[in-house]
This record gives sequence, C-alpha cells and structure tokens, in this order.
Amino acid sequence: MKKRIIASALALSFAVPCAFAQDASAVRISGFGTGALTWTNTDKAEFGRPNQASGATKDVTTGVDSNFGVQADYAVNSWLSVTGQGLVRKDAQDDFGAELAWAFAKAKVSDDVAIRVGRMGVPAFMISDYRNVGYANTMLRPPAEMYSQMLFNTVDGADVTWQHSVGDTTYTAQFAVGKSKVDIAGGPSLDGRRMTALNLVAEHGPLTVRFGRVDGRLTLNGSTSLAALLASLNTVAAGYRMPQAAQLASDIDVRNKKASFTSLGATLDWNDVVVQSEYAKRKTDSYINDTTSWYVMGGYRIGKFLPYYSHAKLTIDSAVNNGMPAACPAGYPAACTPTLAALSGIVASLRYTGVSQGEQQTDTIGVRWDFYRSLALKVQFDHVRPNRAGGLLINPQPGFHGPVNVGAVALDFVF
Amino acid sequence: MKHLIKRGIAATALLLTLPAMAEVVVVVNPRAAESSMTKDQVAQYFLGKSSAMSPVDQPESAPVRAEFYKKVTDKDASQVKSLWSKLVFTGKATMPREAADSAAVKKMVASDPKAIGYIDKSAVDASVKVIYTP
Repeated sequence: MKKRIIASALALSFAVPCAFAQDASAVRISGFGTGALTWTNTDKAEFGRPNQASGATKDVTTGVDSNFGVQADYAVNSWLSVTGQGLVRKDAQDDFGAELAWAFAKAKVSDDVAIRVGRMGVPAFMISDYRNVGYANTMLRPPAEMYSQMLFNTVDGADVTWQHSVGDTTYTAQFAVGKSKVDIAGGPSLDGRRMTALNLVAEHGPLTVRFGRVDGRLTLNGSTSLAALLASLNTVAAGYRMPQAAQLASDIDVRNKKASFTSLGATLDWNDVVVQSEYAKRKTDSYINDTTSWYVMGGYRIGKFLPYYSHAKLTIDSAVNNGMPAACPAGYPAACTPTLAALSGIVASLRYTGVSQGEQQTDTIGVRWDFYRSLALKVQFDHVRPNRAGGLLINPQPGFHGPVNVGAVALDFVF
Repeated sequence: MKHLIKRGIAATALLLTLPAMAEVVVVVNPRAAESSMTKDQVAQYFLGKSSAMSPVDQPESAPVRAEFYKKVTDKDASQVKSLWSKLVFTGKATMPREAADSAAVKKMVASDPKAIGYIDKSAVDASVKVIYTP
C-alpha cells in the first residue's frame, strides 16, 4: 500500500514539470539512475549490495546495481524550500520497490545557516547522501566492507547545517537528531532511537576531509532466530541455575542498545589524480560486532576515461563475550554439557551470521567513461575474499568458499 | 598542390576552433557591491560552495560554457555535472538557473543584484558589470 502511494507520487512528479514549466524556477525536477548488469563466477553464494535480500550469481542480474531516483525541489520563497526524493531499487525485499528517500522542508536562516525538518539522509559516510547516485561517484558501487556497517539510510527529525568560507577553505558542520528505521533482509527490522549525527567537512581546493559520528539506541525487531537463541539461553539460566547464560542473553540482545559509528574520510581531485578513502569504527553493546572498516581508491583521469583501483577491508574488533562455562558441574543432568556446547557454538557463529556481520576484503579495478553529456559508462571487476564463512556474501551454500570474482557493467545518468 | 590542401585543412581547423576560443567574461549586476573577484571566488558560486550569489549558466551546448568552466574551475563539463549531482541529490543546492544565451544571461543579471553569470566579451554593455576576466 505504502509502496503504491510512493509510486503514484513518483508518477505525479513526472507530470509536474509540464504543469510548472511556465513558472520560472519554482519547481525543479531532477533525477538519476543506473542500468546495470552484475554477475559472479559462483552459484554457491550471491553477491549483493549491503542489506539486499538476494544478489548476483553466474546468472547475470540487473537487480544488484540498477536503480532510479526522482527528486522534486520546490522553492516556496527566497528562504524556504521543500524537497522530496523517491528511489526505486532492490533492497531488503526481493523486488524492485519504491521508497521515499527523503522529504524535508529547508529554511535558509542566513547565508551560512540552514535548518531542515523531515526525512533526510543520515550523514554517516562521506558519500552517504549520494551513494545511490552512480553518476556522482567514481566507483560503480560503494565498498560493501564499509557501507554495510551502518544500515540506516534516513533519519526522521531535524538538522542544522552551517557553512562558511575562510580564505579558500570552506567549512561545513551538520548536526542531525531524530529516529530511524530500516528493514533488514530476511524479515527483521532495525529501529534507531535517540539518534544524533555529526558531520564535519573541510574543503580546500582539490582536497576534502571529513569526520562523522552517529550515535543511537538500537532495537532489532522480528528476528525469530535471535528470539529462539535468547529463549534457549534464558531456559538454561533458569533450569540449570546458570546466571552466566542469562547475562549472555542480555549481552547478545539488541534492545535499546547503545551503538556508534565513527568515520574519517578524504577525497582529492587534483589535476588528473582522484583519491578517495574512508576509515570507520563501529561499536555496539550487542551481538552486532564491533568492527573496523576502510577503503582506499585511486584513479587517474585520461581524457574522458577514469580508470581506478580500490582496496577495501572489514575486520572484527570484538564480539560479544561468552561467559558460560564449557562444561556443567558434576551432578548436573547429562544433557547439560551438550546443551551448553551447542549454544556456545551458535553464539560463536553470530560473528559471521547475518547482514553486516563477518569479515571480508575486496580488490577492485574499474573504469569510468564519460562518453556523453550526463551519461557515464562503468565497467568494474571485484575480487572478493571472505575471511571466514560467506563474508558479506548472501545465502552461502554448504561447500562455498571464496574468493569470488564479480563483474559489472553500468550506465549512469542524471537529468 | 598538396601544400595548398594541407593549408586549407589547417585554416578550416582554425575556423572550427575559433568559436570555442571566444573570450568569456564574468558579469554581475551593476549595483553589486563587489568591483572585482578572484578566480576562486567566482568558482565557488558555480561549484555550489557558496550560496551568497546565485549563478546563471548557459546551455550545455554553448561553447562559452565549456570555455568558462575550463578556465575558471579547471574542470570539464562532466566533472562539473558530477559535482553538482552530488549537491543536488543531497538536497544541499539546486542546479544553477540556465539562460538561453549571453543576451538572456545579461537580462537575468541586470534584474537580480545577487545573480552572477558569464557571457561572451563582445556582448558586454552597460546593463552588467564585468567582475572577472579569465
């Protein structure tokens, strides 16, 4: 139902430009999109973007890297404007679904300060807000090693942005508060409450550096496997009088748990040299791993061609601590020790189970070709090495092992 | 004979490139406070780094546009477009307004004290003030 409303809103926004074409510049319609084909060299696991329900195998798919977005900007007057953006892509649900990416009102308080209220992008990453706009990016897709580590796309709330130039340097500070929610592939949903996001950017000529920090309280709803594990641990705690199991259940649970995502980034676009790099730390008080993720991309522009190379890596810093004993004391029922062993096995596997868990690194080569106005063609090859189990790959089958080679061709456009 | 043909080709090539070499100047409203700007100051308005003035573009097909961006921002059309798409699709800014030609730019600049545009040098008249010549 919700999807249908958004779809009709999208359709409506196409009708708008005609109606307002006479009206100098009140409504601006712009859009972006990517048509892409993606394939891999294995059928035993699927390659997708973070939080997609399914991905590419040896069969070529359009679903991984294709999307389409339309944005309408309406200037109410010289200081107030309204922006809405609809995005169609494959995400946690396994079909092309439309989502209301943003809808906000923006008040320009002065030349330097603006306040926005509504639904906005979470400024967690350097390319947070335009990561779906292929044309605005050098790489065909953002590195999964890092962009899987903060799954909230939007925040419903308010933010204030201050932008000021001193000499040749432009400083931007943005602070957002609000709440967020995202559907997770496989059925659960993740709620973010008391969210705050700070984004500091300095631009000096070809160099941009940024610092970002997102804080919030996480609650994971609707995960049957997590609920079953917690129930088992609590049963063991009660039945065998083992408080460590209850403690473990409470440590694993994702219910109003503190979480943070801290990142540093830099881009350089100097003459023909293009460099982009980010480094991030994720921390949560739950089974969701504390991680370090980073990538470095370098490219060199040769006329209309921009070949590039990137290396990305995701490592686990720490996971939930299992304080349960390995064996039950003498005199306990015979089933006790095997039960503990089975539960410990499941707890250990949490590190590598589910969206954004696991460890992986990827080497990428690609080329962007700006062959025509507002159109770019990209070809990219990724060599993906999951460290254990399936890494960030989706639905790994028994017997799957990396590395996986991924190929993709994409046509990006803006209008 | 061969020489003649070669010279002919060279001359044609020269003619073909001539329109693109037209001199571009940056203009503002005559009532604007500034009397001159640096290249970086002009660039910041056309690259969305400042919204203190509102830039006016010429059509993508206009040679004066490519000339302006190459000289003032050291970027080609697709680099500039990519940069703007970052700003537009983050809701930070809207694309510069577009005027049909130098005459239309002059009209918009003459009627808006905050507008800044670029036109062919030959089109300059009293309705606008030249603030930067690359």
